[in-house]
Amino acid sequence: MPVVHEHSERMKKFKNKGKDTAALRRQRVEVNIELRKAKKDEQILKRRSISIVSLEKSPSPAEEKNTIAPLSLEEIVEAVNGSNTSLQLQATQAARRILSRQKDPPLNQIIELGIIPRLVEFLSRTDNATLQFEAAWALTNIASGTSEHTRAVVEGGAIPAFISLLSSPHMHISEQSVWALGNIAGDGPLYRDALINCNVIPPLLALVSPVTPVGFLRNITWTLSNLCRNKNPYPPLQAVRQLLPVITCLLEHKDKDIVSDSCWAVSYLTDGSNDRIQIVVDTGILPRLVELMGSPEMIIMTPALRAIGNVVTGTDEQTQAAIDAGVLPVLPLLLRHTKPAIQKEAAWALSNIAAGPCQQIQQLITCGLLQPLVELLDKGDFKAQKEAVWAVANLTTGGTVEQVVELVQSGVLKPLLNLLLAKDSKTILVILDSISNLFLAAEKLGETERLCLLVEELDGLEKIEALQTHDNNMVYRAALNIIEKYFSGEVRELLLLLI
Amino acid sequence: MGKKSKRTADSSSSEDEEEYVVEKVLDRRVVKVSDPQEHNTWEPEKNLDCPELISEFMKKYKKMKEGDGNKAREKAESGKRKGLPASAEDIKAKKKRESNDIARGFERGLEPEKIIGATDSCGDLMFLMKWKDTDEADLVLAKEANLKCPQIVIAFYEERLTWHAYPEDTDSKEREAAKS
Repeated sequence: MPVVHEHSERMKKFKNKGKDTAALRRQRVEVNIELRKAKKDEQILKRRSISIVSLEKSPSPAEEKNTIAPLSLEEIVEAVNGSNTSLQLQATQAARRILSRQKDPPLNQIIELGIIPRLVEFLSRTDNATLQFEAAWALTNIASGTSEHTRAVVEGGAIPAFISLLSSPHMHISEQSVWALGNIAGDGPLYRDALINCNVIPPLLALVSPVTPVGFLRNITWTLSNLCRNKNPYPPLQAVRQLLPVITCLLEHKDKDIVSDSCWAVSYLTDGSNDRIQIVVDTGILPRLVELMGSPEMIIMTPALRAIGNVVTGTDEQTQAAIDAGVLPVLPLLLRHTKPAIQKEAAWALSNIAAGPCQQIQQLITCGLLQPLVELLDKGDFKAQKEAVWAVANLTTGGTVEQVVELVQSGVLKPLLNLLLAKDSKTILVILDSISNLFLAAEKLGETERLCLLVEELDGLEKIEALQTHDNNMVYRAALNIIEKYFSGEVRELLLLLI
Repeated sequence: MGKKSKRTADSSSSEDEEEYVVEKVLDRRVVKVSDPQEHNTWEPEKNLDCPELISEFMKKYKKMKEGDGNKAREKAESGKRKGLPASAEDIKAKKKRESNDIARGFERGLEPEKIIGATDSCGDLMFLMKWKDTDEADLVLAKEANLKCPQIVIAFYEERLTWHAYPEDTDSKEREAAKS
């Protein structure tokens, strides 16, 4: 008898016909191992009440709703409001998943379910850390929406609950709470101060230590920056004094995100009245800020520049502190930066330094800032040019006659006069004001006619004349004034002779 | 130099006119009459080829300044302009936590004990890691785990190895059974 025939007869008795023994065996073995694995995992995971399905399948956001979290919104509500912990957890996790999807999570829908107070309750469930964590995450994402959304979370009683969780023994839970509180603080001064009044700062600062993991520290720094953020009103002085030492410390960290957010915090704190600026200056932080202004990392350089820019809007002493910290040599690079926004802010800072006493103007000149200023005036971005115009105006107002002469010698007149063609009335006025000031200096030296010649040569006269018919009242009057005062009939004839 | 001489020549030719002009101007304002012989100019330094004249120029200004005493001009107002409006560079006031943010287990500073599952739902292969001395588990990137705790990763894979177990034995057993 052929062995094959016997073999195939025997085969028919087997469960899976047509498969050869080897394949069958392989199949059996695999199935056994799979079963063993699944059983073991299930046992481990059951202790944590995590659905095993979340591990083995690959839920795409679309799939999730249908296959993985088959919980409908009604089922979520029911489970959340019920008393079965396992179901509460499943439902909360399902809600968290919906809320953390990338595209347009339905915050309004979830809020309308009315489950927020219950989720806030879950925050205090020390018997189940996973439940606390999932609830914290879900609430964080709701609070990340509009003011309305954040309000819904706050009104559910989230603030004290999250502040308590800052001291949770589970790091991922305290971290999630830091995040949620950051969102709440970031909503505006009202909630920011509500948090401060609920004593959020001490437990928050307690989380900062040399052994805090970097990811966690990033979140903390960001939340701290939100506590410094916003005006009307500014954060309470007492709070600022508590936060500054830690922020000063974080400014020295090697992680660039942490340094960036710390700089932003300082920029918020310096964006205000001079007494606020003084508190920051007193920390001795200025040299570090100036150093960071020179960073090649945009996320660090931008807020550092903003902070220093804010400092030099202060008193002459505060501005001097910035100069002493070395801001002037760093500015030329920034005035020539490729990004228009950076050019603009650097020019703005320069204009405010130029508004200082002539000793500071001298330092400005000595550090070679006239050249980049003129370049910016000539070919910078328009917004930056506007700031540069202010810088020139301030130099002509506050500079000594000598300094004004240096300004003119640096070639500022040509691009300045060209900007008279700008559409912006305010800018034109500032330029005309500068020109008047130049003539005042010229008068002191008896050089008005020379200046007239120069202006005419640079095609400035025709531009000023044209402005006599400008729509803006103040513009045409200023232009008229200059023409009448310095380009009188006789001088005019003189000029005509020379052309 | 051509341009300059021209101007100079013109000035000198109009010297008489200049006097005339100055007299007229005197009606309107007080002016220090400049010495037409001086070559002072307001042109940018780089256009000038006579540095001696520049230093003469500067000397004259210094003299003038001394004569003036202190800076004559009063500063109108403080001149400082506060608060540039916030730009798009500002950081976000609020942040949502997305699902793919989840694999940060190692950052929590815990010690890995055992991998209890694997998933690639976020695109990258990730392990569910149980940590020592705690009941917690969370996701870590397989890439990270391979570097940080390779033995644990190996243990995970070893446990799940499937074998083509004893093909000859089972085969011959079956044949034995068939024969009998």
